[in-house]
Formats: sequence, structure tokens, C-alpha cells
Amino acid sequence: MSNESEKMLLVGDNPFHGISHLSQERARVRGDAITHAEHAAKLVVTSLENGANGFMFSVSEITLSILRMIRETGGSERLRLYAIVPYAYEYVRLVTQIGVLGLAKNFAKQIAVSGNVRAIAMGLKGVIRVDPVALMKTYLIYEISRIKSSAGKQANLDSVLLHEIITDMALALNLDWLFKSYVDFMLELGIKPGFETRNFVFLANKFKEWSIDFEKIAIAAPFNKVGFQMNPSKDECEKALANLPETGVLAISVLAAGYLKPLEASKYLQTLPNLKGVVVGVSKETQARETFRLLKENLI
Amino acid sequence: MKILGRESLRVAVVGLGKMGILHASILNTLPDVQLTALCDKSAMIRRFCKRVFEGVHLVGDVEELSDLRLDAIYVTTPISSHFLVIKTIYSKGIARNVFVEKTLASSYDKAKELCALAQSFGGVNMVGYQRRLNVSFMKAKDLLTQGTIGEVASFNGYAYSSDLLGSRKNSKTSVFRGGVLRDLGAHVVDLALWFFGDLTVDSARLESATKRDFEDSVYFRVKGSDGLEGEFNISWCMENYRLPEFGLLIKGSKGIMRVDEDKVELKLDNGKSSMWYRHDLNDNVDFLLGAPEFSREDQYFVKSVLEGCNAEPSFCTASKVDYIIDQVEHGSG
Repeated sequence: MSNESEKMLLVGDNPFHGISHLSQERARVRGDAITHAEHAAKLVVTSLENGANGFMFSVSEITLSILRMIRETGGSERLRLYAIVPYAYEYVRLVTQIGVLGLAKNFAKQIAVSGNVRAIAMGLKGVIRVDPVALMKTYLIYEISRIKSSAGKQANLDSVLLHEIITDMALALNLDWLFKSYVDFMLELGIKPGFETRNFVFLANKFKEWSIDFEKIAIAAPFNKVGFQMNPSKDECEKALANLPETGVLAISVLAAGYLKPLEASKYLQTLPNLKGVVVGVSKETQARETFRLLKENLI
Repeated sequence: MKILGRESLRVAVVGLGKMGILHASILNTLPDVQLTALCDKSAMIRRFCKRVFEGVHLVGDVEELSDLRLDAIYVTTPISSHFLVIKTIYSKGIARNVFVEKTLASSYDKAKELCALAQSFGGVNMVGYQRRLNVSFMKAKDLLTQGTIGEVASFNGYAYSSDLLGSRKNSKTSVFRGGVLRDLGAHVVDLALWFFGDLTVDSARLESATKRDFEDSVYFRVKGSDGLEGEFNISWCMENYRLPEFGLLIKGSKGIMRVDEDKVELKLDNGKSSMWYRHDLNDNVDFLLGAPEFSREDQYFVKSVLEGCNAEPSFCTASKVDYIIDQVEHGSG
């Protein structure tokens, strides 16, 4: 586990997957270079040299390549990792192409081929008993082993966060047992359980109702000056944050997907209490230098 | 609060693919809704859902929903099954209010039959063209209604994705999804009908990149009232479209408007220009899952049922999309 009091400035990976929440057209205009692992790894390293102290990423082939490249350059030791699972885009794309059952079969094949005995045993139990918790644990063992083998033993895997689509769907369905099982399992593994959400207020209320200990978890949720993706409203998200003094909330979408300039974004973030850190994606070297220097000056 | 004589609206979802699970989840967050039952043919999916959707009836056939006193049903099965599922819902009196994911049916004839059934049974009916509830497209509709770009002379609509780029020859995917026109193009056709009124197909060209049974790319021209001309480009084999993208370029007597899911851009002949991103258009919702428009859509349908109002696009409105698709498919030669 990491130094609990340290503020986190994390490099986000959205640009490396060709994502722009401002506009899809903008993501296409950026071109392919940004999605090449070598270029992306350089951006992460530049960000680390200018104030960032960690990397938040969805577990995919490209981000695992980035981790391998950073390890080869000896940069893993100072890197603190916040992994988001699953890489929802890829799974949604597969569901679109081959359906839910087709995806399940594909995934079972991947686990079997991986040779990860613990994951295979847990997965068999999950399938035979139709046990979602066992299946979730299977998946987590598999993904964590992929991260560790790519990042190397030197890297610090601070937290594994459930992707927003899983967090928010489980919230919508009141799956308190799933959240509790996830928290317990991750704590057993010595990794901070985390949750990415676009429904911060809803999550905060539910977790209080279910007595989930905020001190033991990480939450990644949008916080930005224009209220972008702050549901149900900017005002209510700010109030909920102020009422969770003990938690480890990481602000995402801080630039509102490029709608805001880093300076105005950081001025807003300074006004928020109780933030554990912020996550920002960068797509150019100069942007990486300027953004993280600025954030370090203003937020740490 | 009593609704239709009960404490809450009893809703079922038929078809537990991606869209079924999405709607079931959002519906479960709505205060006036009781997610009552789920239906899927797959025994494995039902077994898994039994653990996840506690307290919800799980059945394998639509007719098994008969005794559950349902107020509304969401149909999220593949398009080819919409006709039979909806016909069963009405004819067996399972529910009066029906929401179905687009397109309404797999042909205009079947769509017309469903419209007639819906009208005879009453209740609220709606088709899931959720782009109408996207803030950019809503803004564009407002601007058009206000006459901001004057009389519309022409438009160019597109719907692109990379979903089937490089997929295997004779892949079953396009068959499963009913071709690019129904799967992807239907959204932009619906937007054009919403923006400009009735359209008729002038000419069309369909291409199947890998000799599949269904088309992969479609180009067609349409005509509307008062000399309006439009064209559509639709493909799911485009490069660099990580997510599906829909948009229109609209030319009017006073200027041009470009609209897609992320923004609206105006360039007027008098030199004025404006741009609105989602950020500027109050895009927040009570609960966000997938995209804000899905939450708005479910809230809107439920509210319409509760208040006994029509919901748009109704089956009859949406059947016009099936009409255009039929014209394109049958008139392309």
C-alpha cells in the first residue's frame, strides 16, 4: 500500500485509446500517433518528470505495452499504478459483434490459455455454481497478474478500480453484496479497492447505506468547473464530496474533456475539499510538461 | 404514491443483451418503477441473472409474463424478433404499454401491422431512437424550428462506425444485427425525419464489402417537401470510428448548421457563428449509464405511461424509418 497522505497527480490514459469526450471528431483528428505505445510511454515518463506521480489506465494491450516500456526504461519504481478494469470499450465492442454469450466464451478461452491455475480454478467454480462473485474474482486474478507481469515487481499497484459501467450498473441494481465482496477480496490482496463512477452522489449515498468504509477505498469521479458529467448536478456532487472528509476521491474529467484550460481547471479544484488527487490525460509532450507543472504548483 | 391503482409501475424487459441490461439497470433507479420481470431465451443468461436481479421474475418465453399484471414492457431482442414478440404482448394482453428498441420491425409491412395493433389496444408505445434525446440534436431541432438558418434547402446525413471493419468474410454479425441500414443508419434517418418531415427515396446504392447477406455501406438520396434534397452515407466499415458517430450538415437560406452527438455549429450568412458543446447544453441526468440520452429516454417513456400521454417517436412515427429503409433496400436495384 502507498503513502496514504500523499496527494496524487495521475496521468490518464484516455488519449492513448483515441478517446476524446469533447468530440469524437477531435479524437480522430489527433491521429494514430498518440495510440502508439512507444509515444504514449514517453508522454507518461515526461509527465512523471514534471510532477505526476502515477498512472491511471484501463487494462488493455496498449496500456500493458506502455507499462512494459516504462519498466524497460527503469521508470517503474517511482510509478504508482491505478488500474481500471475491465477495459469496457473492448468488451462492449465484442458484445456488439458476438453477443453476451459469445463474449463469455471468448473470455473463458483467454483464461484457459493464460495457464493461471488460481484463475482457472476460481472460474470453474463460478461457472458450475453460476456464482458472479467467483467469476469476478477469476477476472480480477487474471487482470492483476497481467498488470504485474507487464509493470514488473518494482511497480506499485496502489489500486484497482471497477470501470464506471460496472460500478454504475451494480449501483443501479443495488448489488451491495458485489461491492462488499469486491472490497474484501481486494483488501485480502493488499490492493486498495476502487470505483470509477459518473454517479458520485448516488454512490456516496448507497455506500453510506451499505456501511462501506470510505477510508479503505478509492473513488474516481468527475469534478470540473462546468459540471461536465457531474450527475445529478455540480452542486450536489460538491456537497457530497464535502460530506466525505475521510475518503480518497480522485477527480477525473477535470479539464471537462479539453473544454477547460489547465489553469482554470486547477483554480476550481483548489476550492474543493477532500480530494485525494486528480487525473489528467495528455496527448503532447509540451502539454504533459505544462499541465503537470501547473497542477503540482497549484494542488500539491 | 399510487400509480395505475398500484404502488409503482410494473415493468418487464424482454431480451437480456447489452440494451436489455442497460434499460433494466436504469429502470431500477427510477422511483416510480418496479422492475418486475426479465425474459430471455438463454437458460444460461437466466441462471446468471437470477443471482444479479434478486426478487425479479425470470422467464424464458414472453407468454410466461401473462400473469404478472405488467404495466409496461421493454422489448430489446434482435430486430428480426420484434414483430412476433410485440404481437404476442398485445394479443395475449400481457401489457398495454410497449417500448421497443429500434427499428420497430424488420420490414415496413410488419411495422404497419404493429402500428395497427398498438392503436387498437391503446396504451403508450415508443421506439428507442434515443438520439432525439441527445442535447446536441435537441438544440439543433430548436434552432431549425426557430428558423435560425432559414428555409432548409439540403442536408447530408451520415452514420459511421468501425464495428465491422476487417471482420471475417461471411461474418454472422451483420446478419444478427440486420444490416448497417437498420443497425446504424436508422438513427440518422429518424433524426432527418424528425428535423425535416416526410422523405421519399430518390436513388440508392448498397454495398456488401465481404459478400455478406446484408449491406455494409449504403448511399442514398432523398427528397422532401418544398424542393428539399438530402443524402445519406452510412457504413460500419469506416476507419477510425472507435464509437458510432451520427451527424448532419444542413444548408439553409440563411446559413449552415453542422450537428453531431457532441456539438452544434452554426455559420450564418450574416457573418455570425456559434458553437455549443454538450457541456453548454445541460447534459446532466439523475443517473448516468451508457449515455445521458438513455436515462432521459426511460424517464420520458415512464412519465408518458404514468400520465397516459403519447410518447414520441411512437410506433407510427417510427414506422416511417422502416418505410425509408424498405425503399432503399428494394429500390436500389
